[in-house]
Amino acid sequence: MTDAAYRERRLDALHRITRRHFLKTAAAGFGGLALPTLAGCAAADSAIQGAANSVRGLHFAPRAKRVIFLHMAGAPSQLELFDYKPELHRLDGQLCPESLLEGRFFPFIKGTPKMLGPQAAFAQRGESGAWVSDMLPHFAKVADEVTFLKAMHTDEFNHAPAQLLLHTGHARPGRPSMGSWAIYGLGSENRNLPGFIVLLSGGKQPDGGRSVFGSGFLPTVYEGVQCRSHGDPVLYVGNPQGMSRELRRKSIETINAINQRDYEEVGDPETLSRMAQYEMAFRMQMSVPEAMNIEDEPQWVHDMYGTKPGAVSYANNCLLARRLVERGVRFVQLFHWGWDAHGASAAEALNIGFKERCDETDRPTTALLLDLKQRGLLEDTLVVWGGEFGRTPMLENRTGDDNPFVGRDHHTDVYTMWVAGGGVKRGFTFGETDEIGYSAVRDRVHIHDLQATILHLMGMDHERLIFEHQGRDYRLTDVHGKVVRQILA
Amino acid sequence: MFSSLLRRRNLTVAAVLAVGAIALWASRAGGSEVDFNEDIRPILNENCVTCHGGVKQQAELSLLFRDDALQPAESGKYAIVPGQAGKSELIRRVTHTDPDERMPAEGPALSDQEINLLKRWIDKGAAWEPHWAYVAPGTPNLPEVSDPAWPNNDIDRFMLARLDRENLRPSPEADCSVLLRRVSLDLTGLPPSPEDTDLFCEDPSDMRYEEAVDKLLASPRFGERWAGYWLDLARYADSNGYEKDTPRTIWKYRNWVIEAFNEDMPFDRFSTEQLAGDLLPDPDTKQLIATAFHRNTMTNTEGGTDDEEFRVAAVMDRLNTTFEVWQGTTIGCVQCHGHPYDPFRGKEFYQLLAFFNNTADTDRDNNEPKLYEFDERPEEGHRLIADLEKLEEEMHAAVNPDDFAAWTQRFEEYARDTDRPPFFEERALFPPVIRIAQKEADRRSPNDIFVLRSLFIDMEPAFEAMRAERSRLQEAIAELEPLTTPVIRELPAASARTTHIFDRGNWLVHGEPVEPDVPDALPAFSEDAPRNRLGLAQWLFDPANPLTARVATNRFWEQLFGAGIVETVEDFGTQGEPPTHPELLDALALQFSQDFEWSVKRLLKEIVTSATYRQSSHVSPELLDIDPDNRLLARGPRFRLSAEQIRDQSLAVSGLLSDKMLGPSVFPPQPPGLWTNPYSDLTWVTSEGEDRYRRALYTYWRRTVPYPSLLAFDAMSRELCTSRRIRTNSPLQSLVTLNDPVYVEAAVALARRMQEEGYDTPQDWLRQGYRLALQRDPPEEALEHLVTLYETALADYRQRPEAAAALVHIKENAFAGYEETVQTDYGSEPAYAVPGPASPAMTGSASPEEGALAVAANAILNLDAFLTKE
Repeated sequence: MTDAAYRERRLDALHRITRRHFLKTAAAGFGGLALPTLAGCAAADSAIQGAANSVRGLHFAPRAKRVIFLHMAGAPSQLELFDYKPELHRLDGQLCPESLLEGRFFPFIKGTPKMLGPQAAFAQRGESGAWVSDMLPHFAKVADEVTFLKAMHTDEFNHAPAQLLLHTGHARPGRPSMGSWAIYGLGSENRNLPGFIVLLSGGKQPDGGRSVFGSGFLPTVYEGVQCRSHGDPVLYVGNPQGMSRELRRKSIETINAINQRDYEEVGDPETLSRMAQYEMAFRMQMSVPEAMNIEDEPQWVHDMYGTKPGAVSYANNCLLARRLVERGVRFVQLFHWGWDAHGASAAEALNIGFKERCDETDRPTTALLLDLKQRGLLEDTLVVWGGEFGRTPMLENRTGDDNPFVGRDHHTDVYTMWVAGGGVKRGFTFGETDEIGYSAVRDRVHIHDLQATILHLMGMDHERLIFEHQGRDYRLTDVHGKVVRQILA
Repeated sequence: MFSSLLRRRNLTVAAVLAVGAIALWASRAGGSEVDFNEDIRPILNENCVTCHGGVKQQAELSLLFRDDALQPAESGKYAIVPGQAGKSELIRRVTHTDPDERMPAEGPALSDQEINLLKRWIDKGAAWEPHWAYVAPGTPNLPEVSDPAWPNNDIDRFMLARLDRENLRPSPEADCSVLLRRVSLDLTGLPPSPEDTDLFCEDPSDMRYEEAVDKLLASPRFGERWAGYWLDLARYADSNGYEKDTPRTIWKYRNWVIEAFNEDMPFDRFSTEQLAGDLLPDPDTKQLIATAFHRNTMTNTEGGTDDEEFRVAAVMDRLNTTFEVWQGTTIGCVQCHGHPYDPFRGKEFYQLLAFFNNTADTDRDNNEPKLYEFDERPEEGHRLIADLEKLEEEMHAAVNPDDFAAWTQRFEEYARDTDRPPFFEERALFPPVIRIAQKEADRRSPNDIFVLRSLFIDMEPAFEAMRAERSRLQEAIAELEPLTTPVIRELPAASARTTHIFDRGNWLVHGEPVEPDVPDALPAFSEDAPRNRLGLAQWLFDPANPLTARVATNRFWEQLFGAGIVETVEDFGTQGEPPTHPELLDALALQFSQDFEWSVKRLLKEIVTSATYRQSSHVSPELLDIDPDNRLLARGPRFRLSAEQIRDQSLAVSGLLSDKMLGPSVFPPQPPGLWTNPYSDLTWVTSEGEDRYRRALYTYWRRTVPYPSLLAFDAMSRELCTSRRIRTNSPLQSLVTLNDPVYVEAAVALARRMQEEGYDTPQDWLRQGYRLALQRDPPEEALEHLVTLYETALADYRQRPEAAAALVHIKENAFAGYEETVQTDYGSEPAYAVPGPASPAMTGSASPEEGALAVAANAILNLDAFLTKE
């Protein structure tokens, strides 16, 4: 397509939003009826889809219509969960050979650290024989459902930049997150809920801040919307007392009718964007509380996930993730904070805080996989689990020898993530590490490769999902990324 | 790296601006000139320095400094042989046909054009040039323009010259009511009154406009608006940050900023007092309060943390913040390694750090040292403090060295004994002291020794009488209820710290010691200046410093136009955006620092009286297509108001806003259940009376849980210095201004104001409501929509008068009676349920008309025009 044609199409798409018959549709009663609006909140526009060389829309048939990304913020240790290294047992307490340290940098390890053996017992699980430690007794039973990526690697050794790289393809704030790209490319299946929803647990926001689910230079309609599992599920989503839904509908109609008139006079596309946000806000007022209310779930579901209605927990968020994808939310991002097991305190000890994180997450994560499966959703829902980097096979011990807590430092070269469901193999392991889990020996997967693969599974070519900004074309994977075809089912 | 993605074409102005260097290059691609900054540095930055730069020097090659780049690499080969591209390994590798040999190792090959540029550059001698921002601004020539009648001042000459080049025309002046609203919101953060607007619109001449500007600049609201901005840079907050995020009393610093802006304190003095007020001769109380700028760093009060670790973190933050705020430089990268892209070496970070490393604060939970101010009996208070300080000195002086040595030895044995009592009990006893005792004696810092000696004094029976006296003095001081503010205090020379390079940024691994100094890439430090923070402040404001005036000018510009002349206001380095109007930036920076003698008010006046600023913000599809981000300013600025402006404006037009200035932070209503920090039992108690309605900048700012409705509009958590808030537009914002009880209460108040003005038809009321909000008459069509809404609501409320009452009495009803407990991963915490429908139990009564007007007012307060600076 020529540049001019491309430009024209973008502008045209923008203008199309405007004359859209907000009032006409609203007259039909807009709570239930789908309202066309900005692409972020609507299905991908067919006009755009149909264009040759499309940058948006499906590039090929998707295997995963939805994604649930379970981000274990703080970076869990692969050596206590999936990457079993008996050799490390033998080396436990021995000084790390200098050859491993030369030219290397770790945030906290100083001098020559000691090796640290696995802090958990391991066994092979299921038909696939995947190693899963006793720290995840529930997950161990579903190991056959997933593909382990054992040789993940990243470029960033600190949490905030590594989380940004994982979610935006770039280590500094300012780029769109994966969920934003997905919605930009494909739109949302549900016009009454945001296409990209974020759920936090663990008492803290991700280290990378809100940019981790931000829209960067994409229009802000593609930003992840944070939902809460108690009080107003989204702050201020409830109308004030005395304001009926009907009256709210009428008032937003009025606001946007006046805005439309102003837009025609002033010409600022930001006005259109704001109109779309008001429409979206109205629809969210109905659909968000409904989707976020887990009280109507039967008791056996609560037992399965370990959920308690009204609680703020990873378990509730897992159940909510299932409810949201059921309703067509395309990208659900969970962050569970607290995995940064340096061993500098009890909360950061592999045998205390880390163990607690495992206990909190094991049952709900497993329940999510099983629940999606029994509802037939796992076939076209991709579940991704992992942190922003891995941990060293060496003991960190930044405070001196008497430290009663054990932990590991950040490690970028190798770590484990797993993916399950929509379009990936079951009971498969890709990638292998050396005998102490320090480096990969084959089948490395970089963050950008994972991103390319996720987009691929969603039906998009990561090299064609582009957005022009400041004179160049940007994409999630920057100029990198290869689809990991070996894991595709 | 990105070369294959770059579209080398004259697509849009935005594209040309953003990659100005490359676009310029494209226009002269056939010529023979090769410019390092415009042609070569972008190629190196994008393709090479990730591996061969300040962070990594693979194959022992770095391309950041010429000296380094001309050295032989690990292989013994020369990457660059000046004058001989054919002999340069760099050229051989980028043109290699074997993919394993070809550079860049990752990413696509360079284009032929890029390779040709590199060859020509090397053949011409491979000259490096300093980045534009490190060269002091020279006075640019005023350009010729197509329409000499249009410019009001020099700003407009530069702007118009650029528009001429693009064959664009400026827009006509904005409508008088829009213009006055724009400049009022910009200068004071508040809209004008409809009466002010009427007055101005009678005669919107240059003279009357200037009068209006002068009045706004003189308003006490001016200081509040600009302090709100500055507090993001100062990372001002009312809490200590980190996990528990305990409260901190430091609002006197906010007072100082507001007053400094109001009295137009010259920017050099404003800066110097914040950076080094304590080092000025005979500093007064205000100058000491100003130094709290750098006490806004976070304090970690978590049990068992090493105070030295977090003291160092705070000191590093002070350096990073200083360089971000005044030099637009991301010096923080250099903590661990050389700067990835800019010419700063690792050692230089620590030389700069040495300026900040000599202050008396040590991450204590009580935030000492603090300035004590007494409302009552100040003389007595200061005498008590003097007595206490004297007594503490005496106590330390009275320590018998032999006894202390013997005690220390016993304590060391205890601390190093692996069989000593369990860790947790010990932690409860004396948290970081054990760790100090475990250190080798020669590794202990002066502060470590001070901590040990303090513990000795606290435990030794011989000090019992002195301890009793100390307690008495402390209690007497506490009884006077002093107001305390953390301030910066320099350690006396005798106990000065030596700053070391930290190996790879790790504070525990000390490398060679360094002396305070500034980076080589910037002007040298004056021989006469003291090597301390005061000297550093003087260096920042030395006319030779190329960055300070540009960076500051650009910040004020950004606040008014929505984007800086350098868009990356925080980064003037080689990875930042190049200026859209370099000559204008230089001219204005020189004007600010020289002609205006750093007067912020004069700088702002110069900008807001320009024809550029006064343009209408209406935009045609054609112009939108050419310049979607309005970087050329062929139209006036139009963008959503800031979080603070949104709140303040709604309260102002509804008549609720309190004009009370200064003082402690306040607690306007927020949903319950948000303060859920682990291990913290602080609760939010909503303010009473006018403190509910203060300007946003007085809102209590807890770092981990910022006020949610401000956060929704992109306010920051203020854990670190933030130069730019990225503006977003989300449905969550709509929910705030539609449903947050604060905004609904404003709507109710606005509705009441509409009726009070003495009109008697709904049309009159609603016209008046629109006028109060936007200071202009509503277009007929808009008024009709509002009247229809009013009538619909009226019909509804006639059926349900209790619903009208519930809405009109939102203040009493919001959040009332919804306390409950919620189970979290961390135990049970208070929360609240979603408010239910109106019920007869709710307070108050109201007429259907009142309710219906409130609904219409709520709509007015949500109009795009209202939320936007037009």
